[in-house]
Amino acid sequence: MNLSERIDALLERVEKPVRYMGGEYGAVVKDPSAVDVRYAFLFPDTYEVGMSHLGMKILYHTINAREDALCERVFSPWVDMAALMRAENVPLFTLESRAPVREFDLLGITLQYEMSFTNILEALDLAGIPLRREARDSGPFVICGGPCAFNPEPLAPFVDFFVLGDGEVSTHQTIDAYREWKASGLPRAEYLRMVSKIPCVYVPSFYDVEYHADGTVSSIVPKEGSGAPEMVCKALVNDLTHADYPEKLIVPYGEVVHNRIMLEIFRGCTRGCRFCQAGMIYRPVRERSMDRLLELAEKLVSATGYDEISLMSLSSGDYSCLPELAREMVRRFAERRVKISLPSQRIDSVLTDTLRETQKVRKTALTLAPEAGTQRLRDVINKGVTEEDLVRSVTDAFEQGWSAVKLYFMIGLPTETDEDVLGIARLAGLVRSCYLSLPKEKRAPGLRITVSASVFVPKNFTPFQWAAQLGNGEVVRRQQLLKRELSKIKGVEFKYHAMDLSYIEAVFARGDRRLADVLERAWRLGCRFDGWSDQFRYDLWRQAFADCGVEPDFYACRERPEDEIFPWEHLDAGVSKEFLLREWKKALHAERTQDCRKGCVGCGMRRYEGACR
Amino acid sequence: MRTLLRFGKNSRLRFVSHLDLQRFFQRALNRTGLPIAFSQGFNPHPVMSFASALAMGWTSEYEVLDVKLAAPMGRGRVEEAMRAALPEDLPVFGARMVDDRFPAAMSLVRCADYCITPEGAEADAVLAAVERFLAAESVMGVRKTKSGERGIDLRPLARSLKVREGSLYARLMLTERDTLKPDVLLAGLAGLAGVEAPRARVHRLCLLGENAAGEAVPLMEWKDL
Repeated sequence: MNLSERIDALLERVEKPVRYMGGEYGAVVKDPSAVDVRYAFLFPDTYEVGMSHLGMKILYHTINAREDALCERVFSPWVDMAALMRAENVPLFTLESRAPVREFDLLGITLQYEMSFTNILEALDLAGIPLRREARDSGPFVICGGPCAFNPEPLAPFVDFFVLGDGEVSTHQTIDAYREWKASGLPRAEYLRMVSKIPCVYVPSFYDVEYHADGTVSSIVPKEGSGAPEMVCKALVNDLTHADYPEKLIVPYGEVVHNRIMLEIFRGCTRGCRFCQAGMIYRPVRERSMDRLLELAEKLVSATGYDEISLMSLSSGDYSCLPELAREMVRRFAERRVKISLPSQRIDSVLTDTLRETQKVRKTALTLAPEAGTQRLRDVINKGVTEEDLVRSVTDAFEQGWSAVKLYFMIGLPTETDEDVLGIARLAGLVRSCYLSLPKEKRAPGLRITVSASVFVPKNFTPFQWAAQLGNGEVVRRQQLLKRELSKIKGVEFKYHAMDLSYIEAVFARGDRRLADVLERAWRLGCRFDGWSDQFRYDLWRQAFADCGVEPDFYACRERPEDEIFPWEHLDAGVSKEFLLREWKKALHAERTQDCRKGCVGCGMRRYEGACR
Repeated sequence: MRTLLRFGKNSRLRFVSHLDLQRFFQRALNRTGLPIAFSQGFNPHPVMSFASALAMGWTSEYEVLDVKLAAPMGRGRVEEAMRAALPEDLPVFGARMVDDRFPAAMSLVRCADYCITPEGAEADAVLAAVERFLAAESVMGVRKTKSGERGIDLRPLARSLKVREGSLYARLMLTERDTLKPDVLLAGLAGLAGVEAPRARVHRLCLLGENAAGEAVPLMEWKDL
């Protein structure tokens, strides 16, 4: 039997065979012998999650637009499929051609969250690729990008190189370098030397890390003669309007998380929320022009047949001509029965006007994220939202016929007190009274308020990279405090999670190279799909830390001094360390920093050529 | 005006469920650019229906989709647009244009032809039981329905059975009242042979209606009087 038939035989026996099927409309199948570079793109989670990821769509499109290269998709096999693949010796394969991943030239992996790291080891192992870089003398080079590449150290021994920042241009640079290297006939290490000349590429094997006796980092320097730069700077695409964007999409058969056209209206965020890594590392704001967005929308609707377009960004209400865009979209597409949806996660934008527009075609759930329960704590995190904003937004929404509101908060933010926690319940009560204050005939029946409280995870390259994560006992106490308080309000549902997962996430979010052994140990013990609470095995993680003699509290629960050298000190994410430190100090005094559209706040982005014109 | 579209479902897509295929076709119709008629209401969707649902895991070369058009269209245009809108594993074999009074494709189906290929050690025994099945006056089997299992006589539901080169070519009833599914038939044959029902590949060859003379006619050729 050939590989495809052997895969087929497994599909009879797994839970969701569509995950591994391929053959979707819009998938690009090229003749491998007609290209120079074969690129396998791994999303280290399930098909349903990965197929909803915009970055993968962009890179898939831009690589396949080249004549000299092909890009095929790979997703993490679910545990049932992985077990069968091992039992039947079926190697990890791509969906398009069902070729073994280990036969590809490059294996690109997107790092969307820390809790997918064990899936990367699992994928390498299933592919038959040695986990540790130094054990590999053939097979694809392993490349990682995406937000977690800004703290790459826990993955350092497993990855050939990391690419920081926007991928539209840098992906092509790594492919060009590969062609050049392949033509040169030079040894494998030479490709790494070649890509290390690309300013956004970080080759971990070219750097030495030293530690102090207390376990903190004492230095990170390029190895003698490696030629690697002292600082690796993120790639920045300044002009999004002219950047590559897919004009066709793969249309999956089964259900995926976001089964619609995703239109990225801008990248970056000007708000400066101090907990938000995306808001820092994707700076500065770059908008796609309205003309280009409308052109893309037309093309994508025709090419896919989707009846829904989602306007994507970190804070869509901030798009400079959102009302015009929404109005024009509705005008053009209503007749074609295409709905426009807008993730409305901010409560202080020009939301109401837009809601009126989008509502014509679709009533989306109103989702608001005040993040903290009191104005003081919202000032600490620089969430520029007031109680009045909240009242106005929900009142407007209720008047327009909404009756369900989801409120997102975090527990364990720096400086949080019981008063702040109870403030969450107070806000939920306020939302309820906004609803009740409307006459019955003016509001939709069936008020539903959902309060979600996640556990705060300090991330690197944010002002809170110095902060300690709150310990488990205290988190549980505050959750229970809130639960009791919310139970007094009618019609409120409270959602929260055990903090084990957030704790491991916090360890890896600011971890160093010594965590690589823990990661491998955890994977060997059976950890995978850690982001899925039904798969997450806290007991095995604890054992992995113990087996490796690593104390996780050192990474998660320690407030770091200002002069500490971070494991990511040699990486430049755009925002300067001075800015982040300034923000950290202001946070502790509950001092706000303005939205940088109102005036430059000196975040450091201007050091980048062409940024913040 | 309506179009009856005959398409196939290749092996690669055999795990796509009927529900997923429905959703897929709604989007596919959107991207044809054809003037598809839409339902009224809060969530308008293309007016379309399948002549018969194909079970997950089966392949087919004769599925029929009945689609309502908002404006007259030539057959060639429809076929071309559908081919462009479908992936290669959902091949388009042809379209037929009918007017709105033509009975719904679904209502015409009387039986279906299948090629059933049992696999494994019991395959021969099951195929050998076909003769006994045909000679019997009645063969009891179990039909699973939403409301539970019930015993049915399989024999009259099998219009014809022929064994050729390791496969069973079967014409089986397929109406709301009288339906014999290939897996139920296999279970019946296995029962006669005294073996476990084997796994089998099932491929649908044709969907058929019935003309005034009571003869089976492939759906795409069925004519009103």
